[in-house]
Amino acid sequence: MATTTENIAITPEATEPERDYTYVEDVGNIPRDIYKYVKSDPLGDLPRYSLHIVAQHFLTFLTFLILASTGLTLHFADLWWAPYVMSLFGGPDLARLIHRFAAALMVLASVYHVITLIAGTVQKIMKKQFNISRTQIPILKDIQDITHDIRYFLGKEPYRPKMNKFMYKQKLHYFAIIWGTFVLITAGTTLLYPEMMATIWPNPQFAQDLARLMHADEAIMAITVIVFWHWSNVHLVPGRFPLQWSFITGKITREHQLEEHFMEYLHNLEEIPEEKEYMKKLLKDKGFETK
Amino acid sequence: MKFLTRAFGYCLLPSLAIFLIISFIPASSFASDVGNCLLCHKYPGISRVDEDGKMKLFYVNESIFTNSVHTKVKCEGCHTDITKIPHEPAKKVDCLVECHIVEPSSEKKFSHKDVETFIAKSVHGKIDEKGTEKKYIEDFPECKDCHDNPLYRPLSFFKKVRPGISEASLGRCRVCHKKDEFIYRFYNHITTRLHKSRSPLNIAEVCARCHDDPGIVARHEMSTKAVFSYGETFHGKAAQYLDERVPDCLDCHVNKGESVHQMLSKENPDSSINDKNRGKICTNIDCHPNASPKLATYAVHSEFNLDQSPAQYYFTVFFIILTGGTLLPLMFIILLDIIRRFAPHAMIGRKK
Ligand code: HEC
Ligand code: HEC
Ligand code: HEC
Ligand code: HEC
Ligand code: HEC
Ligand code: HEC
Repeated sequence: MATTTENIAITPEATEPERDYTYVEDVGNIPRDIYKYVKSDPLGDLPRYSLHIVAQHFLTFLTFLILASTGLTLHFADLWWAPYVMSLFGGPDLARLIHRFAAALMVLASVYHVITLIAGTVQKIMKKQFNISRTQIPILKDIQDITHDIRYFLGKEPYRPKMNKFMYKQKLHYFAIIWGTFVLITAGTTLLYPEMMATIWPNPQFAQDLARLMHADEAIMAITVIVFWHWSNVHLVPGRFPLQWSFITGKITREHQLEEHFMEYLHNLEEIPEEKEYMKKLLKDKGFETK
Repeated sequence: MKFLTRAFGYCLLPSLAIFLIISFIPASSFASDVGNCLLCHKYPGISRVDEDGKMKLFYVNESIFTNSVHTKVKCEGCHTDITKIPHEPAKKVDCLVECHIVEPSSEKKFSHKDVETFIAKSVHGKIDEKGTEKKYIEDFPECKDCHDNPLYRPLSFFKKVRPGISEASLGRCRVCHKKDEFIYRFYNHITTRLHKSRSPLNIAEVCARCHDDPGIVARHEMSTKAVFSYGETFHGKAAQYLDERVPDCLDCHVNKGESVHQMLSKENPDSSINDKNRGKICTNIDCHPNASPKLATYAVHSEFNLDQSPAQYYFTVFFIILTGGTLLPLMFIILLDIIRRFAPHAMIGRKK
């Protein structure tokens, strides 16, 4: 997008300073649509995910695909395509084994994530760097961001909101995953150990019924959300097509950071001296810095 | 659509299974076609349009017949009324007819009459305990509703257990028995009975024609389309993939050691599925030997519909609403986003 747009930034006369610029000490006035002018490395310019998070995403996405494909084939055993897909997995016995192995791996990834999360948070609190607006925790601003963003999409706002490291979409998705993983693990355990769980649940019959229902329903829901929502967001939307490399490099492109995570970019400016230099130079080159 | 895919699945897998079984059996011709009926009936085209205008096929596939359990029975042994050629329209075959074959242990002429007495005492019997005829008698199964002419399903145990005949075993029989026809037949006869003669899927299909028929289910006040609900469980799903280890209808509905024709209603205290006895089915040595009795409370015929299990039904509805309710608004936002990306400068209601 950035390279193709020929539009010049809004002329100073016609602007409302608060709305059109963001003043950053030592850098200057950054126009709100600056993301159209920056240079970006497709592999990413600015740090976003630690190696742990990249590893966890990798584990989750691999196991998710395996679980979904084996699980759906087992669940829809009576549909015409099922036997063909099943033969790819080497038969139902092997498919079940693969499903369980992948499930164990996904549980492991979840535990790993929780550990990273706790350790990282404790570390930040100790260093007095903890900042709630840089976390996945939903805050009031997210609701303002949603309305702002919808107004922008409808053409009632000139710019997207200044969003945090995790924007509202990502927070929703994150909580959907927490809920989904919780439901799937509980239901899956109930199905995997029918004999043991019969003695643990207070009403084993109801628990088993629910487990059967929820394991399938929640899985189908998760698959729909991943396919339609997650893949649209990270692969299909113009500007993100065909994919973003963040899931491997852990870095986000400058353009993307400025557009959807502006508040995080401001944070980057504080932390990374080179980025500050870059932005200063850019503002100067483009003639924005006068303001 | 679902019906079509189901129907397709039902036809495809059993026919594959039959094909596989047949292909394991070496070609041999030892049919007991004394009256030489196959002289004419081996031609695939042999047929007639009957009074109702329906096409009837009178072709008998010899190689299938010779691999069936009735291979030793003469055609006339069952079609008793066919005495001359060309013949008159034939009567229906009576499965309980006494045949000329002698059962070696009792040395009596063989018949399937005992089966009828078992059925009469079972839930499929047409007369109730008080001796009165049950309602809707035409819904009750006859032998031919559940049986066709079953094929042999021989097993080989020589080194490993696998389907088919072991040439190595046959070699042993030949040391003492001289007629190959005899050896093949009895090898088949015995080894077919050392395991289930049908796969769980096949058994379920037998019961499906009545127990998935909404009319019959409603008329007899049964709480479930039993084969459908079985198919929703993991047992049923594995059965779809031709797993032979999972329980089929008979494993749960027949007390061990009794005839499969002695199925009883769950209200009957002798029934294997009566609340008192149910634990014993699950803790069968081949299934869940160490399970607690609570395992037997699990529902095996849940349909999760509004009548049968409202709580579970509303849970499903909740999930559908949750899925739709989150996904649709989210997709709407994405759509807006995409549109906006194609027209990044359009503004409504104010000038730039
Ligand atoms: C000469 C040829 C021939 C021979 C031999 C023969 N059939 Fe048939 N069979 C026919 C024909 C032709 C029909 C169809 C009759 C018709 O069109 O009414 C038929 C029909 C039948 C039917 C169906 C009759 C009905 O109305 O449903 C049976 C059962 C049958 N045959 C059994 C036998 C048996 C058992 C034998 C051996 C004892 C035998 N057939 C020998 C030619 C033959
Ligand atoms: C175990 C008993 C049995 C034997 C043995 C047997 N049949 Fe049948 N046959 C049946 C039954 C049962 C039917 C189904 C029609 C009925 O119920 O009468 C049938 C149907 C048929 C029909 C079609 C009749 C129709 O009305 O659709 C033909 C033709 C036929 N048999 C020929 C033969 C021939 C030829 C042989 C010998 C190779 C033979 N059968 C051996 C039991 C037998
Ligand atoms: C409700 C369905 C049903 C009815 C009705 C029924 N059967 Fe069966 N029968 C079965 C099933 C299922 C089996 C189990 C055999 C198997 O594993 O395929 C069986 C097994 C048998 C066997 C043992 C077969 C073997 O190879 O082990 C015989 C013999 C038999 N039935 C005869 C009859 C006769 C005769 C009648 C009629 C009086 C009859 N059946 C009625 C369902 C039925
Ligand atoms: C060591 C020799 C020997 C071998 C090997 C042998 N048999 Fe036999 N078989 C006999 C004898 C002898 C009898 C008669 C025994 C009796 O009646 O107690 C018999 C009886 C039988 C009978 C009963 C026949 C009837 O009408 O009473 C059958 C069926 C049979 N054998 C099948 C087989 C098969 C199938 C095999 C191979 C898997 C086999 N036998 C291997 C010697 C043998
Ligand atoms: C895992 C064991 C199991 C299997 C397999 C099984 N059933 Fe059942 N079935 C039961 C139990 C237990 C009940 C009693 C259900 C209840 O109390 O809700 C039952 C009940 C039934 C009922 C009576 C429903 C009513 O009105 O209450 C029918 C009919 C039935 N089963 C048919 C079948 C058929 C047909 C199959 C094969 C497709 C089958 N079952 C497979 C265990 C089983
Ligand atoms: C031709 C139709 C027909 C076929 C085939 C059939 N059934 Fe049934 N079955 C019935 C009818 C009708 C009843 C209801 C009996 C009554 O009203 O008492 C019944 C009742 C039952 C019940 C008892 C339900 C209760 O009320 O507890 C069981 C269990 C059952 N069948 C199992 C089977 C199994 C297993 C098979 C397959 C091997 C089978 N049936 C095949 C017609 C059939």
